[in-house]
Amino acid sequence: MVPLSWYLLLAAALFSIGLYGILARRNLVMILMSLELLLNAVNINLIAFSRYLEEGQTIGRVFALFVYVIAAAETALGLAIMIAVWRTHQTVAVDEIDALKG
Amino acid sequence: MGFDVSFGFEQIAFLLTAALTLAAALAMVFSRQVFHAILLMIAVFVGVATFYVLLGVSFMAGMQLFIYVGGVSVLAVIAIMVTRGFMGSDRPRPARTTYGAAIVAGSVFIGLAWLILRVPWPTVPLVAASENDLALLGQVLVSRAGFVVPFELSSLLLFVVLLGALYIARER
Repeated sequence: MVPLSWYLLLAAALFSIGLYGILARRNLVMILMSLELLLNAVNINLIAFSRYLEEGQTIGRVFALFVYVIAAAETALGLAIMIAVWRTHQTVAVDEIDALKG
Repeated sequence: MGFDVSFGFEQIAFLLTAALTLAAALAMVFSRQVFHAILLMIAVFVGVATFYVLLGVSFMAGMQLFIYVGGVSVLAVIAIMVTRGFMGSDRPRPARTTYGAAIVAGSVFIGLAWLILRVPWPTVPLVAASENDLALLGQVLVSRAGFVVPFELSSLLLFVVLLGALYIARER
């Protein structure tokens, strides 16, 4: 098998790429997609730890499944907010959406 | 360190998949076209599913394909098709912000890699992969000693989120 550290390094790289996407992009959709990269990196870590270090092999997968649920909820809400913002502002650039009034 | 391993099929498959996945992820965050970025994101999701297959947890690979490739990506594509005139290019941020983001992300990666390489991680799993332990996973998920409360709460969460998404995105 591949050593566990390879998976951890891969997840760290994926996490950093997603972090760059969140910080550097202006488009709301790009930020949401970068967030998905972060969640995927976390899931790789959870499942790799569960596979290599856990006796029962289940708890890591259960946590990863809950991460899936949260990710799906976050995507649905994020895209709904994006559509609503697009209707009112005609833009999805996060630095142009700076009014708190509805 | 764990790098003194022989290079068999699994190691080569891992390195190839890792290279493809990370290249797709990099191309995604740098892509100017939002639609290209979505396609590259799907490539990243498939790559992550491949890692689950390599880890021997094919159930999670299936879930990854179902939820991410089948659900999240389709949701993203549809949401973008709905908002017309939006598939175009993304005006880049000022270079100062981009450099700052690159510095932050790079230092996070270097810090994480330094921490990871300090620890003598195991190179082989604790126990052999079982052929079919889905029954065990299901029992843990719905038993009272396991995770039945978060399991039911997550279904409530999904219900509320879907209603909320419909409410937010409705035509006014």
